[in-house]
Amino acid sequence: MANPTSRAYARRSTYPGWFFLPAAIIYGVLFLVPTFASLYFSLTRWSLFSSEFIGLTNFYQFFEEPFLVQGLVNTVIFAMITSGLKVVLGLLLAVLLTSRIALRGYLRSVVFFPVLVSTVGVGITFTVLMHPTQGAINVALELVGIDGPHWLTNPSLALYSVALVDVWKGVGLATVIYIAGLVAIPKDYYEAARIDGSTPTQSFFYITLPLSRPATVTVITLSFIGGLKTFDLIWAMTRGGPGFSSDTIASIIYKQYQAGFYGLSTAGNVVLFVLIALLVVPLTMYLNRREGHE
Amino acid sequence: MAGLELKAIQKSYGAVEVIKGVNLEISHGEFVVFVGPSGCGKSTLLRMIAGLEDISAGELWIAGKKCNHVEPRDRGIAMVFQSYALYPHMTVYENFGFGLKLAKTPKDVRDRKIRDAARILQMEHLLDRKPSQLSGGQRQRVAIGRAIVRQPEVFLFDEPLSNLDAALRVDMRMELANLHRDLGSTMIYVTHDQVEAMTLADKIVVLNGGVVQQVGSPIELYQRPENLFVAGFIGSPKMNFTEVTIDSINGGQVTVSGADIQPTELSADTTGLGEGDTVTLGTRPHDLLADASGNISGHVSLVERLGNETNVSLKLRSGATWLVVLDGDRELRHGQELQLGIEDQKAMIFDAAGQARHMA
Amino acid sequence: MSLIRRHWLSVVAILVSFVVFVIPFIFIVLTAMKDKRQSALLDFSWPEKFQLWENIVDVITTRNWQLLTAFINSTILTVASVTLLVVFAAMVGFVLQRRRTRWNGLINFLILAGLMIPPAIVPTIWLLQAMGLFAKLHGLILIEVAYHLPFSILLYRAFIATIPKDLDEAAIIDGARPLDVFFRIIMPLLWPVTVTNIVVQSVTIFNDFTNPLYYLPGRGNETVQLTLYNFQSQFNTSYHLLFTNILLITIPPLIVFLFFNRQIVAGVTAGAVKG
Ligand SMILES: Nc1ncnc2c1ncn2[C@@H]1O[C@H](COP(=O)(O)OP(=O)(O)O)[C@@H](O)[C@H]1O
Ligand SMILES: [Mg+2]
Repeated sequence: MANPTSRAYARRSTYPGWFFLPAAIIYGVLFLVPTFASLYFSLTRWSLFSSEFIGLTNFYQFFEEPFLVQGLVNTVIFAMITSGLKVVLGLLLAVLLTSRIALRGYLRSVVFFPVLVSTVGVGITFTVLMHPTQGAINVALELVGIDGPHWLTNPSLALYSVALVDVWKGVGLATVIYIAGLVAIPKDYYEAARIDGSTPTQSFFYITLPLSRPATVTVITLSFIGGLKTFDLIWAMTRGGPGFSSDTIASIIYKQYQAGFYGLSTAGNVVLFVLIALLVVPLTMYLNRREGHE
Repeated sequence: MAGLELKAIQKSYGAVEVIKGVNLEISHGEFVVFVGPSGCGKSTLLRMIAGLEDISAGELWIAGKKCNHVEPRDRGIAMVFQSYALYPHMTVYENFGFGLKLAKTPKDVRDRKIRDAARILQMEHLLDRKPSQLSGGQRQRVAIGRAIVRQPEVFLFDEPLSNLDAALRVDMRMELANLHRDLGSTMIYVTHDQVEAMTLADKIVVLNGGVVQQVGSPIELYQRPENLFVAGFIGSPKMNFTEVTIDSINGGQVTVSGADIQPTELSADTTGLGEGDTVTLGTRPHDLLADASGNISGHVSLVERLGNETNVSLKLRSGATWLVVLDGDRELRHGQELQLGIEDQKAMIFDAAGQARHMA
Repeated sequence: MSLIRRHWLSVVAILVSFVVFVIPFIFIVLTAMKDKRQSALLDFSWPEKFQLWENIVDVITTRNWQLLTAFINSTILTVASVTLLVVFAAMVGFVLQRRRTRWNGLINFLILAGLMIPPAIVPTIWLLQAMGLFAKLHGLILIEVAYHLPFSILLYRAFIATIPKDLDEAAIIDGARPLDVFFRIIMPLLWPVTVTNIVVQSVTIFNDFTNPLYYLPGRGNETVQLTLYNFQSQFNTSYHLLFTNILLITIPPLIVFLFFNRQIVAGVTAGAVKG
């Protein structure tokens, strides 16, 4: 067996363990400690100075109070719509932008740029563009004879409108991820398929789609987690309104925090955490298992 | 004086023992080659000498000092890697000078040493280039130059030529030999190529499975291999083997015969051998000759005519295939029967344990 | 046939992309040039009176030069946290990739957890208050470092895997100590991925709205994203100033985009191919 002192000597001299230390301290203190603390504080009525243990009351509220339940449902709907649209549109745009199309560089830039722009700025701009009477979108629709909907002021529509803006801002990211995946597919496959008599549509379904699977996994995982956590866009556009119709867990966390219900706000954090764990872990396991089969 | 001594050196990765107790003495100025098949532990042994790998058990002495726990930089060694490991972001000049800079060598001394090394390797005109702007052979020389600049007592080479093409490899081999002669330092050189070992070494260490098989000069290893492994590994083309039975023993002479060979008399160390024992007979392809009255026969299965000599693959009765190198050009047909004799009793006997039975 | 079809597709793509992706930005620019009355119409008209410059001056000087303070705050926040991120993440990525220890499994788990788990807001505030870091710029800097470390570590680890270990060993033979190996050999070779890291994280942190909102409240503490939020509630009717503000805070990402597009794309697509 190896002599422990000599082993320690070689390790210490090359890749020092203390290189982990600065990152570990910052991450441990500012991320891990609060995360563990949240497990306790979510079970309390809490004012920052004093906390009173109240068991699962906060969590019961989340599944009983209609506006909190709605927030929970909204969160899942929002994440599913945005990630679904980003996958579909991202892949189509990527196929388009890797084909021999004119002004390809310009198109790629234009699609990607919104990713880098301030979310709040985007939210404000689209709030104005989506104004029911004066907004440019409805004015344009009117020109072609369509009576545009009340995008953000109709309670049954607001969440979906925000979701559309989220897709507008985020689809560029999905697109560049897909482009990276597509250009990694060897050209030989397409040429071999063509010689075998495959049409472009068939090539898409039998080559592009299966071989861009890793990109799909990345896009779905990223945008689904991002969707579940979304706060800034919703806050900039609707503040969760009208009523509670576009609230998500993240906006509820903020509202409860502002209202001084710290225990309930923290319970929201835990709910969001559990929701992500319950949805994302099986999702990635499913996606990766399928990948292993192929 | 920078001799080295390895005393019962062992190396384990977890429960796997890859170096199983190596004892070795290397004297100052020697060119020692570690040779053996891939995975036998050559690099591991070299890296323990360098201090890149810790020593699980045993002692390493360099220049009279126990070095198990000495930092690599304090061992008086320099190393040339198979991949060259040149720093890609530094010029050749900076690559040469990095070690001196770390040692805080004054700038003028550093500059002189760098230029000296560049002169020795005839690459003064390349000092301002980055490694990516050099050819494979030039990179190889930078790697060597970086070692020279450090003026080490011991040079360590880990398969330094294996990334070069065949012609360049021969040139560099000669250059290394010259370098050794000019610098007079101790050099330890790892290779899996026994031709490199034969041509470069003062002393060859044959390793297999983490165990030293034999230590000796190239000619010693060729003429008197201690066991089947060394006999098969050293020499090109490889030695031919066949199983034989001892018919009779007469002092230092044995008569053996087998499926592939008629009774043949050889000299060997017969201590402990008895009539009827099964042993292995080995003979080198160059030591066989065409002889109509020879006592080995087989059918020609492949002929390579090189002009000055002819390589023949011969299918023997037992099914074994032997390689024979015959002088001059021979016209042989596929399937033709060929009778061979062994030149001057140049055959070796290996006992059941694989140990060679050379005459004392 | 296919030639016609390709051109037809190109034209449609360019038109649609213009309407969908360019017009919103044109709208921002136009509104930022209008006067208060015309901007309140929210329409897509040509400015009657160009007063972009007046608007810019107005936005910057309003509320006691709040936007200027905010730009300074955001700059400090971005530069400091990205600097710490680069150094600390590269250190972790280096040792994590080079050394196989029983900790690696736990560390990898924590990295994934950091990418997935939403930060627990109120407990963090409680902790920051206890440490005297709440509503302090340096507190927020450390928060941004903590939240963005996992991504940076992943970037570095993937890149370090492409640097042969032989280089470290050659340096050790040359007499390098661990810090020499890291700072003189590894860090210079990491430069491409460091640029990517700097660019991607700078944009993210500069655009961060949520964390300053929670952890850096108070007058004089605003970051640029918060000025927008403040103006939104305050200037309910001053759309020209609101959009001038949007225009101003879009300029830094635009510059980054123009110069570092390639590095950004490299950063955000790292891992896309391998999953
Ligand atoms: N870090 C390691 N962990 C476990 N086994 C190793 C390690 N390094 C080398 N080995 C094993 O040790 C043996 C010797 O390796 P090496 O010295 O590189 O062989 P050589 O250089 O002779 O080809 C091999 O079987 C290899 O698999
Ligand atoms: Mg080796």
